[in-house]
Amino acid sequence: MSLLLQVAINGLIAGSIYALVSSGFSLIYNTNKFMHFAHGASVAVSGYFLYGFFAIIKLNFFYSLSLTLIFSALLGLLIYRIIYLPLQNRKASNVILLIASISILILLQNLILLLFGANVKDIEFVEVKKGLEFFGAVITLTQIVILLTAVLFFIFLYFFMNKTILGKNMRAVSENKELASIVGINSRKISDFSFLIGSFLGGAAGILIAVEQNITPTMGTILMIKGFTGAVIGGISSVPAAVLGSYLLGLAENFGIVFLPSGYKDAISFVLLFLFLLFRPEGIIGGKRRTK
Amino acid sequence: MIFPYLIHILILIGIYLILAVSLNLSLGYAGLLSLGHVALFGIGAYTSALLNINGVPFVFSFLLAGLLAGFFGFLLAFATGKLKGDYYALASLGFAFVVYSLLLNLTEITRGPLGIPGISKPQIFGWAIKDNFSYLIFLALVCFVSIFLINKIVNSGFGKLLGAMRDDETGLRILGKDTKKLKYKTMFVSGFFAGISGSLFAHYIGFIDPNTFYISELVLILTIVILGGIASLKGSITATFVVIVLSELMRFLPLPSAIIGPGRQIVYAIVLIIILMFRPRGLLGRIDLE
Repeated sequence: MSLLLQVAINGLIAGSIYALVSSGFSLIYNTNKFMHFAHGASVAVSGYFLYGFFAIIKLNFFYSLSLTLIFSALLGLLIYRIIYLPLQNRKASNVILLIASISILILLQNLILLLFGANVKDIEFVEVKKGLEFFGAVITLTQIVILLTAVLFFIFLYFFMNKTILGKNMRAVSENKELASIVGINSRKISDFSFLIGSFLGGAAGILIAVEQNITPTMGTILMIKGFTGAVIGGISSVPAAVLGSYLLGLAENFGIVFLPSGYKDAISFVLLFLFLLFRPEGIIGGKRRTK
Repeated sequence: MIFPYLIHILILIGIYLILAVSLNLSLGYAGLLSLGHVALFGIGAYTSALLNINGVPFVFSFLLAGLLAGFFGFLLAFATGKLKGDYYALASLGFAFVVYSLLLNLTEITRGPLGIPGISKPQIFGWAIKDNFSYLIFLALVCFVSIFLINKIVNSGFGKLLGAMRDDETGLRILGKDTKKLKYKTMFVSGFFAGISGSLFAHYIGFIDPNTFYISELVLILTIVILGGIASLKGSITATFVVIVLSELMRFLPLPSAIIGPGRQIVYAIVLIIILMFRPRGLLGRIDLE
């Protein structure tokens, strides 16, 4: 019983981080209709922003947090403006944008490697305290913070998308770009905001990873695959579905390694990704079939 | 001193030539953005290395490497039959991840992250290839035959059908052509050549591990093919020379290797982004990448 609870807790913690990565990715995808695969690398870069501000420049933790979130959002916008927008202006197809985004992923990943070296960085913000016992399962304070932060972000995101004008416009653009522009919504501006907000969410994911685990230059690729897999499982055409799919992925991975050797953790999500793309590309909840 | 190094560079060029030309067959001629190509390269390398170490003569391990990679190429095309564009690309990338994690985790067969050391140089019936110069001659032979065959394929009726499929798949189907079969055949042939280049790689370097067949290698071969120009064999050949020579020259920069490694990747990525933005038909391509 306590084992099951422990596995479920681990799954939800992993799921929270995947869901933060996935929500930003899915928001950008739905507004712009292409795969911003470099999103994972910008999550990794955020972890290093935090490391830079906190451990190198030695700002206090809350300044470091805020600056990291701002810089992450701006990095997203910058990538959009410098690379994707010119490509879109010359009517590049999704395939080209995908190749470009993979190149950006590799570019950012290696820039981190160049600047910070290959070794694992650890941000010693919270000294590792003994975990709390909870019906026989152990959970640390940081992990509780992660669970709550993620939920808090999703509640904010929900209100933002459903109650604010900007959020509603954003949903209008993702539903039907032409119609949205007919009623006077500037879709360029909405794209800007989607990159800002999506990368902001990615920044939050980067911070949580940096605080709970440690950061490595190449973690962007694997995070992107996890976030993308979560989005595909839930249904890529909706942000809440992507979030749900990511939690499911976190649980599936952690329950999977109860039966399989722990090295197969990543393999579980690779296989799920491949199977879903082949047999149910619209995801569990997604209604619209989009295979083209 | 310079001469052995020159041979080394030429051997690398030969291996990547076959790999690039085989990717161009699926990406350029058939319009299938196969991001799983690195996995096929890896399947070839592992198949050949493992068979050869377990006593299978090189000629067979080499051919089986090609056939198995070709078979996986066919499977990939078969499984992803109805997917198009970026969805096809991502499914094939997903395939590459699956293969990567299998290479990493099937430790009883592949030794996982430790990789496979001590892969010997080929012995072809009586002819034992001991030094790099003989290897180069053997490689040049394989390279010549491969490019000759692929050139023959792309200039045949079959090649024209591929171009037609790339430009207008529905149109071709209306004319009664079975485009699925075209894709299966293309992916088999493309996989076959990726597989034999994997075998040539493994037996030259003598050591393989899963990381050689992952996403950074993918960016290298995409850079070569897209820089050269899609649907242009001359382009791929030129670009292989340019990219491999340049990346080898970077070795002589007065920088520590911890910088040169990532530096190379950064250069590939930037080159790729610049071509996509400013010259999507590459150096010698006749059509834009779409």
